[in-house]
Amino acid sequence: MANARKETIAPPQLPLPPATFQILLALVDGERHGYSIMREAAERSDGTVRLGPGTLYGTLKRLLDAGLVEEGGERADPEMGDERRRYYRITELGMTTARAEARRLDRVVRAARRKRLIGPEPA
Amino acid sequence: MSAREDAAERAFRALLRAYPPDFRAGYAREMVQLFRDRRRVGHEAGMRFWMEIVLDAARSAPALRIERLRATGRRGNQLTEGTMRPIAILAVLVGVVQVANAMLEWSAGRSQSGDGYSVAGVALGLVAAALLVGAGIAMLRRGRDAAALARVAAVGCLVMVVLIRFVQPWMSIFGLLLGIGFPIALLVFLFLTRSSGPASRMTA
Repeated sequence: MANARKETIAPPQLPLPPATFQILLALVDGERHGYSIMREAAERSDGTVRLGPGTLYGTLKRLLDAGLVEEGGERADPEMGDERRRYYRITELGMTTARAEARRLDRVVRAARRKRLIGPEPA
Repeated sequence: MSAREDAAERAFRALLRAYPPDFRAGYAREMVQLFRDRRRVGHEAGMRFWMEIVLDAARSAPALRIERLRATGRRGNQLTEGTMRPIAILAVLVGVVQVANAMLEWSAGRSQSGDGYSVAGVALGLVAAALLVGAGIAMLRRGRDAAALARVAAVGCLVMVVLIRFVQPWMSIFGLLLGIGFPIALLVFLFLTRSSGPASRMTA
């Protein structure tokens, strides 16, 4: 299914929308199901990033279409009971895109530091 | 599942109707699963939770519907472009055949009467043929006003052929069918494909 979608939409251009980057960042550690992606994004951002069902799956669909994410099969999560869940994993293209976006954000932060908009990097 | 949970899930399923059908077919089960996980595992509930859910649907559903419409539009454009090209080539070919036909008509008319009407008929026939060739070329070039130009050329061709019928009454059935039938068919085609802007389609 993912392969058929890849041909229809081009990979997203930088800067990535925040939800897109958050999802890619959550998948960098390994494959996850929807709730795990949402929870990881919320924990990493101290609860400021809350991906609703429509935003999460709408973004995942776009990422699948663009070939940045692929489906990793269905299985139960031992921590969450017997219910089968669809897992998603990041592709090589997704990694490259996420890395490019992280570098872009890093340049923005460094520029903000140079201009003393924010303090020096904590040790 | 408690009655309260059941009602909450039913309300969420109703909210999913805001999303495009193909998106629902692919993701509704997982979205319900996520909703359930947030309530059971994340212990999320109350007005704030529902506000978040409704706002998320209000933001994401229209965006997905617009994306769906755009994707449908792109497929429609491909279909029209696929149809437009053969019609355009046909218009050029019919124009060329009309030139040959005008020459034949002129030859036949001259042998019968040899008056100035034959010359006028041939001249009008050549203009009609040139208009059809022009319509075909405009459609092939996919210019911004291609559809409008093709429409004007088709109407012009139709007027020319009707005029020829007056000045050259011995015009053949073949000439009439080709000269009147094809521009009408072309106008019907352009009319049927006008709704999403044939000109913009051709430039897409």
